[in-house]
Amino acid sequence: MSNERAPMSEQKTTHFGFEQVAVEKKAERVAGVFHSVAAKYDVMNDLMSAGIHRLWKRFTIEASGVRAGHKVLDIAGGTGDLSYQFAKLVGKDGQVILADINSSMLNVGRDRLIDRGVAGNIQFAQTDAQYLPFPDNTFDCITIAFGLRNVTDKDLALRSMLRVLKPGGRLLVLEFSKPQHTALEKVYDTYSFKLLPLIGKLVTNDADSYRYLAESIRMHPDQETLKDMMKSAGFVNTEFTNMTGGNVALHKGFKS
Amino acid sequence: MDPMLSTAALASAEKIINTALAYDPASRIALAELSPQVLAVHISSPDVKIFVMPSVDGIELHSHYEGDITTQLEGTLPALLSLIKSERLNLKDSGVQLFGSTSFLAELQKILKNLDIDWEEMLSQVFGDVIGHQGAELIRSKMSWTKDRVSNIQRLTSEFLTEELRVLPSAPELNFFNAQVDELKLGADRVTARIEQILARIERQNAQQQAAQQE
Repeated sequence: MSNERAPMSEQKTTHFGFEQVAVEKKAERVAGVFHSVAAKYDVMNDLMSAGIHRLWKRFTIEASGVRAGHKVLDIAGGTGDLSYQFAKLVGKDGQVILADINSSMLNVGRDRLIDRGVAGNIQFAQTDAQYLPFPDNTFDCITIAFGLRNVTDKDLALRSMLRVLKPGGRLLVLEFSKPQHTALEKVYDTYSFKLLPLIGKLVTNDADSYRYLAESIRMHPDQETLKDMMKSAGFVNTEFTNMTGGNVALHKGFKS
Repeated sequence: MDPMLSTAALASAEKIINTALAYDPASRIALAELSPQVLAVHISSPDVKIFVMPSVDGIELHSHYEGDITTQLEGTLPALLSLIKSERLNLKDSGVQLFGSTSFLAELQKILKNLDIDWEEMLSQVFGDVIGHQGAELIRSKMSWTKDRVSNIQRLTSEFLTEELRVLPSAPELNFFNAQVDELKLGADRVTARIEQILARIERQNAQQQAAQQE
């Protein structure tokens, strides 16, 4: 489903949840959602996943193979869960860049990391994943956790990530995916479209943003499609690992 | 198997261990000094690999690690568990194989042996000083009682099997039997040596006779 763009009269469109919007409007609409949820993003993540998002991220950290001295780019790093762990792993000789397109999310992440005493080997960049402002062959590892589905042109973003990865470096994409059991999918649908907006309304007084999050998960490419997209972008040895029955998958690919 | 199960199990174990270590600052400092060394524990049955990394927060447990490993232990789960409980540094006949540095393992064993968790402080944080102290006293007395009971149970079981059921020999009987076997083995060795000596002598005599006949 490369880039989900479909012609609608003369204007190029893409999806925003289940809604079709002009390509140039999607980033603005997504930004609106994340400006709205930034302050309570962590609380909502814990509520929505019953804390399991910490295990998904822990598994991602282990699969990253990041070691002392490495340079790591954490795209859509939001509130800095992954960056915090990476900063500990790379040590004083390494470098972590927490990048997010959304200033509200980046501010929350930066404040949290400073409060936790992380400094010296971490930098913050407000940047678009489609046009990464870094030189070629810069990073040993790039992660994008629960961010790719919000990117307007995913193929462009994947190519941009490949460009800034060092040869031999790896990309890890942690994202919601397609449940592997029909029964689980039905339960998950009910939860996402009925319960999730309700929790969103109660906690952040913003049901629409959480409805978008649920819809955007459904519109995101499934495991095999995303793996093919990574291959098409130029990644090699691509593979994915399903977690919690395929609700979430970790895709891995290397730059040759 | 969903990787989340092992990740969750290791995350829980790590949390529990580090919470306990928070009340034993000396062990925590000693562990931090061992960073960035890595211990890989390979359980052969079921096939599970766990990576143990000392850090400033206590220890980290991972199911996947791609860096250099300082020490690797391989063996069955019971063999590895008995190694943790024992104070021995020699792995001979333990059923555990070791690869890499032995000094790192010795340091870890030393920390484990000297572990001294301040239960009173831990309970006081939650329940206050009075209840915390009483709780800690209770834990101490229960632990002492449990240790006594375990020791008693081992002794009584041993006596019941040897004296009442007579299905196992007693220690003196076994020692006597071992001594007899040893004596028999020594005797057999002596006879073997004697026979070899006689055969060698006969061979020498035959050779001398053949030489005399040829002359």
